[in-house]
Amino acid sequence: MKKEITISDISRKCDQLTEIDKEVLIPLPYPYEHTNIELPIKRLSEEEKTRYEASLDGISAIGILKPKSKREEDELVGKFLSGLQKLFSEENNWTFLQPLMLSLEYCGKCLTCSGACPIYIASGKQEIYRPTYRSELLRRIKEKYLDKTGKITAWFKGSNIELNWLTIARLGELAYRCTLCRRCAQVCSRGIDNGLITREIRKLFSQELGIAPKELHEKGTIQQLKIGSTTGMNPAAFKDNIEFIEEEIHEKTGKKIRIPIDKKGADILLIHNAGEYLSWPENPEAFFIIFETAGLDWTLSSELVGYDAVNFGVWYDDIQLSRIALRHAKIAKDLNVKRIVIGECGHAHKAFITVADRILTGDLNIPRESCFTLLDDILQNGKLKLNPKKNVFPVTLHDPCNIVRSMGVVMPQRRILKKVCSQFREMDPHGVGNYCCGGGSGFTLLSSRNFPQWRSAISGRIKLKQILETFHDVITPEIKKYVCAPCSSCKGQIRALFNDYKVWDKCSIFYGGIVELIANAMADIKEPFINWECR
Amino acid sequence: MGIILTTLTYAAYVFIIVMYVRKAVRYARMPPHLRWDLYPVMHESRSEYGGSYYEDPEWWTKPQRKKIIKSILFIIKDNFYLGEYFHLNRGYWIFLLPWHFGFILIITLHILCFWGALAMVMGLSVSYESANFIGKAFYYSILLTGVGSFVAGSLGSIGMVIKRLSDRSLRAYASPMHYFNYFFLLAVFLSGLYVWYFTDPTFSEYREFWKGLITFNPKNVAPAAAIHIALFALLLLYLPFTRSMHYIIRFFAFLRVRWDDEPNLRGSRIEKRVQKWLNQPLDWSAPHIPTGKKWTDLTSDLTFSGQIKDR
Repeated sequence: MKKEITISDISRKCDQLTEIDKEVLIPLPYPYEHTNIELPIKRLSEEEKTRYEASLDGISAIGILKPKSKREEDELVGKFLSGLQKLFSEENNWTFLQPLMLSLEYCGKCLTCSGACPIYIASGKQEIYRPTYRSELLRRIKEKYLDKTGKITAWFKGSNIELNWLTIARLGELAYRCTLCRRCAQVCSRGIDNGLITREIRKLFSQELGIAPKELHEKGTIQQLKIGSTTGMNPAAFKDNIEFIEEEIHEKTGKKIRIPIDKKGADILLIHNAGEYLSWPENPEAFFIIFETAGLDWTLSSELVGYDAVNFGVWYDDIQLSRIALRHAKIAKDLNVKRIVIGECGHAHKAFITVADRILTGDLNIPRESCFTLLDDILQNGKLKLNPKKNVFPVTLHDPCNIVRSMGVVMPQRRILKKVCSQFREMDPHGVGNYCCGGGSGFTLLSSRNFPQWRSAISGRIKLKQILETFHDVITPEIKKYVCAPCSSCKGQIRALFNDYKVWDKCSIFYGGIVELIANAMADIKEPFINWECR
Repeated sequence: MGIILTTLTYAAYVFIIVMYVRKAVRYARMPPHLRWDLYPVMHESRSEYGGSYYEDPEWWTKPQRKKIIKSILFIIKDNFYLGEYFHLNRGYWIFLLPWHFGFILIITLHILCFWGALAMVMGLSVSYESANFIGKAFYYSILLTGVGSFVAGSLGSIGMVIKRLSDRSLRAYASPMHYFNYFFLLAVFLSGLYVWYFTDPTFSEYREFWKGLITFNPKNVAPAAAIHIALFALLLLYLPFTRSMHYIIRFFAFLRVRWDDEPNLRGSRIEKRVQKWLNQPLDWSAPHIPTGKKWTDLTSDLTFSGQIKDR
């Protein structure tokens, strides 16, 4: 019989704590139910195994380097403990102390949350992916090593856990097996938030140990602050891109649009996830067409950071979160705009509109709103001439967690879709009860070693299943279908899923944003705006 | 014996009140945190589908109408119903509910005993023969809550032990403290049940003990009742060291975190509260942290944003 993993196993020396068994993953529906074409999760090479700590599940998301000596091991443990102390002090962690304490101190260990976790369910209920597993680890470490009577009461409270470098490294990796989607928190009657605890673990690693995935930190927030964008696009390249987009809009639609950049005193500063300009330029193009046609007074910014709405800090680091949010606000203040509108990017919505809200004080506190309410307002007020019969194909909506569950923006995007699409259908569940795309909390960006395969095989599995089930009656490749995923990160994840599972070839399911559907339905644009070409 | 029980009961009540208030004050005085809303937010008019004021165009120009009472009533109602367990974890709920009810009712019993004793001191007869309606009401409510508590609590405690032990996953997350708590509460409920069934079927002795408590005139009780009273007092002394305060803490977890959607408008109360913490120096040690600088300095500070390195 297979040995079950316990909490204290996390400290146990072994080659690999859990082996991911593809036989136990939840099955996918037609046309994937019999083929058993499970994605092989690449095993790390011997060199990678020697270099990186991956003994949790054979996956390496962060790339924690193995210590070379006992001194390095002790140093890691020491730094972790010092970070742990800071995590529970008002001075160092005022930003999340109260939510963290409430979530750590009052869990009843009923495990009700497990059933809400898409990763735990999709993985065939692997114990280490249970939402409470990593929370319980932190709780027990804190109780034993930080509480005054911790070592005396360790046995009684069940917090008898050994803290060694392996425990720490595995905990760090484990913090990147949760997309922070917070479905688990939603079902907890005590208000315990395992997603928050996961983020706090990430924060401890980043802010004290200096350990974070390079895609989020070095090539993420740091690159954004230094070069201007996490994509590596500097202000000059951004301006080039805008010129290119102006030309492309003209070619596609015949409309000659002069995109306003750095216009002082405009009503709206529009900020996109800069990834859109490079991966899906049709998305900002559609925005620009809509804004111009609706006659809005708006501008883009070409300032460093000002043209990239992303804020990866919201996933792992309060300092980086604050730096970027403050920078965005300062740019808006200098432009003297009246409000900031965030494009189709879920985490940028949450980071700038809610999470960073209380860091923005005085004249940096400029109103920020979602593009969905603005677009809904434009459509409801009849500022665009629309013909929904131009979108005559089945459309479903993927709800980005950050926009629904973390912000409560649920209906505007539905009103828009009902107005511009003639065959809109909901997923089940949807709205605030939706499933994460599997790329949340930065997962879409983590491209090192074998993590992308884990992401497609496990964290995105339920979303893929849900999409296939939503279109089950029209799944044949002869009928084109559209998943509206109004978030760059979700789109990136869906793109990876669709490529890995060859969804376009087998089912003709396409993905894209919401504004593309609006532009495609605009009566005065003769040629189809949507180009059914999977990228 | 009466003096010992009286002293123990006084000490237990004082201790638990002090400890609970201390904990509540500790949470209430914690710094304002960054927002971490989770929808549906119950006080929102759009809570039915999980909508928020962010769905309004230019939301900051619209009046905010919070129905806090709706949130509070939801939490109170859920304390009695445990809705999420009912919908998602029925096998757990079926034992948890009677266990919870046992606990809620035993607290209610003691509150009723206090007021009933006060009524007795004021000359009211608390019995089924009482000519006064209030006297009768006290009599029957004490009897019903007492018996209800002991029966529900005993069944719930036994059920929770069985559930924890029989479910492999629940067992893995349980500690010796969990089982100690179940058995401790079981002892309290069973001793109460014994007293009611064998020695004090109308709780007259118990009411007299309470009358003695509030008049500082300790009363002796039969050994079985003494054991129950002592166990309950010991339970009160022990509870602050457990997670029992979640009944109260839920209000913080929901109202102050999950449903805390108060926007930071210019000149608002929240802006004033946050200001102090924004002037707090940073003291984390990673290379990208400008240790010693303030949060407010982060607007312009890029010098410490770290090096781009390849791993």
